[in-house]
Amino acid sequence: MKRGLSEHDRAFREQAREFFTTAIPQEIRDKAGTGAELTKDDIATSHRLQHEAGFAVPGWPLEWGGKDWTDLQRYIWLDEMQLAGVPAPLAFNTNMIGPVIAAFGSDELKARFLPPTAALDIWWGQGFSEPEAGSDLASLRTTAVRDGDEYVVNGQKTWTTLGQYADWIFMLVRTDPNAAKPQQGISMLLIDMTSPGVELRPIQLIDGSYEVNEVFFDNVRVPADQLVGEENHGWDYAKFLLGNERVGVAPVGWIKRRLVDAKAHAATIASGDGTLLDDPLIAARIAELECDLAALELTVLRVAANSHGGKPDPASSILKLRGSQIQQDVLELVADIAGPSSLVWDPADDTPDWARRSVPVYLNFRKASIYGGSNEVQRGVIATGILGLKG
Amino acid sequence: MDFAFTEEQTSLREATRDLLARHHAAPVPGDAEHDPKLWQALAELGALGLPFAEDVGGMGAGPVEAVAVALELGKAGVRAPYAESLTATQLLCSDEGFDDLATAAIEGTRLVVPALYEPSRAWSPTPVGVTATAGSLAGIRAAIPYAAASPAVVTTACVGDAVEIYALDAPTFAGATVDLAGQEARAIPGGAAHVQRALNLGTLVLAAEALGAMEAALGLTVDYLKTRKQFGVPLMRFQTLTQRAADMYTSLELARSAVYFLAMTLAENPDDDTAVSRVKVIVGKAGRHVGQEAVQLHGGIGMTAEYAVGHHLARITAIEHTYGDTRFHLAKQARHVKDNDSRDLLS
Repeated sequence: MKRGLSEHDRAFREQAREFFTTAIPQEIRDKAGTGAELTKDDIATSHRLQHEAGFAVPGWPLEWGGKDWTDLQRYIWLDEMQLAGVPAPLAFNTNMIGPVIAAFGSDELKARFLPPTAALDIWWGQGFSEPEAGSDLASLRTTAVRDGDEYVVNGQKTWTTLGQYADWIFMLVRTDPNAAKPQQGISMLLIDMTSPGVELRPIQLIDGSYEVNEVFFDNVRVPADQLVGEENHGWDYAKFLLGNERVGVAPVGWIKRRLVDAKAHAATIASGDGTLLDDPLIAARIAELECDLAALELTVLRVAANSHGGKPDPASSILKLRGSQIQQDVLELVADIAGPSSLVWDPADDTPDWARRSVPVYLNFRKASIYGGSNEVQRGVIATGILGLKG
Repeated sequence: MDFAFTEEQTSLREATRDLLARHHAAPVPGDAEHDPKLWQALAELGALGLPFAEDVGGMGAGPVEAVAVALELGKAGVRAPYAESLTATQLLCSDEGFDDLATAAIEGTRLVVPALYEPSRAWSPTPVGVTATAGSLAGIRAAIPYAAASPAVVTTACVGDAVEIYALDAPTFAGATVDLAGQEARAIPGGAAHVQRALNLGTLVLAAEALGAMEAALGLTVDYLKTRKQFGVPLMRFQTLTQRAADMYTSLELARSAVYFLAMTLAENPDDDTAVSRVKVIVGKAGRHVGQEAVQLHGGIGMTAEYAVGHHLARITAIEHTYGDTRFHLAKQARHVKDNDSRDLLS
């Protein structure tokens, strides 16, 4: 056992802190504190600045711009990014389709797509979930039928996050309806969102935001060279994509940042003769969250430090589950601190932005325990994969 | 950063495991009995002196090694005054030197335990009703562990605002209580900060023991869900049970990260009581969760004295109530919440 970072990793942390606090505009970073919605430009600016500095895709293979960092360094990098309030490079590009193309795509596909994916010259959307295929993703029904040099795609995708900005979408489609298992008849296709027959409809969420969409495909013709890897192997690629990120699944720096802000906010809300920060129950909630957060961060560090030879420590499976819970707890705390100051959502009102936004943000992040494999799915993975409890 | 035990530490764990298997007695409800043979075996292994310097008779190892032993105690469900002995020994060893009783404790020739509770008083690391006047003590110490074995005790007393430490080589007990008035006591160098250092070590050891107990409780539960049949199928076919087992695993692994890190932290800074408080809360919450769920998921068999799982819950509960419970340590942190930098909880 060895506590603390090596000198090399400490210097790495300093470098990350310096980069994120100087290279990314303050006005974008401040939105983490006020809960203001990030615009397309905010995300694109942050991504491109990181790309120009060579840091947008550290997890990719070296030849495509990757960094060959250790898991611990990857974690340190993300922690500093989140602490500084910096929007991450677009995950659909950097964590999802990019690594899949790099691992399974043909040379031609790599050359065509990886550079613009890293640079955000292509904004990717994700086309996995369907109205009848949520946690049971393998039951998806969108079809792709081969016709000469093309596939003809029909069906519907949903929950396509930021699809309104997407230039392209990576899709799971059914190419063999007669496969022995549903997982075996699925392929991964890359589709230009401007193709005739693609229609996007926004879905409004409980916080009033529009960040997810339905996408409809009506006889959309897709060149066959936009198939990723081999036909009917899409499920393997999807599993790779979902399991690709192990240190980034728990947003520790993000939570730290909000906890720091929560204390500052509590000190601005008068209560009795003092402020809410003097209230013993609020102080105890904050202290308890600090304990929860410390345990989570230590588990992330343990996983990052002890994942040798590409095989992650089994404890990695708890990170998404616990990360989303604590993420939700801290937003609930901020909303409760705002209290009556959270009741008016109208931006024209004088209420401080953080308080006005606190409940919409709290409501919005109920998604965290649902997306990317709901917490019930995560528990199923732990029960089956780690504890050997076969349902 | 590395959370793995070294080869030597792993060997120590295995040696402890073997030793405990040889001395294992079926657990019984109620107060633990001291087992001199087990105790002597632990002394011969060097377990009682792991975190202490060689001049005292210790092994010159550290808190991580003590954690390795305590984990196995907890896992095996063997109750022994391990944390108590290490706490008492630490109280007897200050920067200014050590008391011979410490060496006796390390060698296992004399059982020495701390006497730090007062009757009907919530936990306080500083004495309230125990005083010292010119070296003679007044006040009552209660709930002294392993009192039936007539141990030597180390206690604390207040002298004005200061805290003093005293050793009683052969106190007279009434049950688990000692009325300090008129008992022969020796002053030991050190004050409140030294008491806190001893509590830090003791709390770490207890937390590791709780971790071992949680691990055992989850292991028993998982085995039971795989083998016990109801409605013609193994219990693991019911998601309402397996989802809860997954949550138990989550609590266990979070606690493990915290305990291992605390061991490394105290190895560098034995006075970091903020880190100790944080881990007492993490382990307190995790232990309650894992222990209670382990009994519940077993059903009726988990309630019986002949089955191990309930004893793990009992041990976890005793640990929760030792050296400050979750409430005490949470309140302590809450009082300092303004000073804590949430960005950097680990340094």
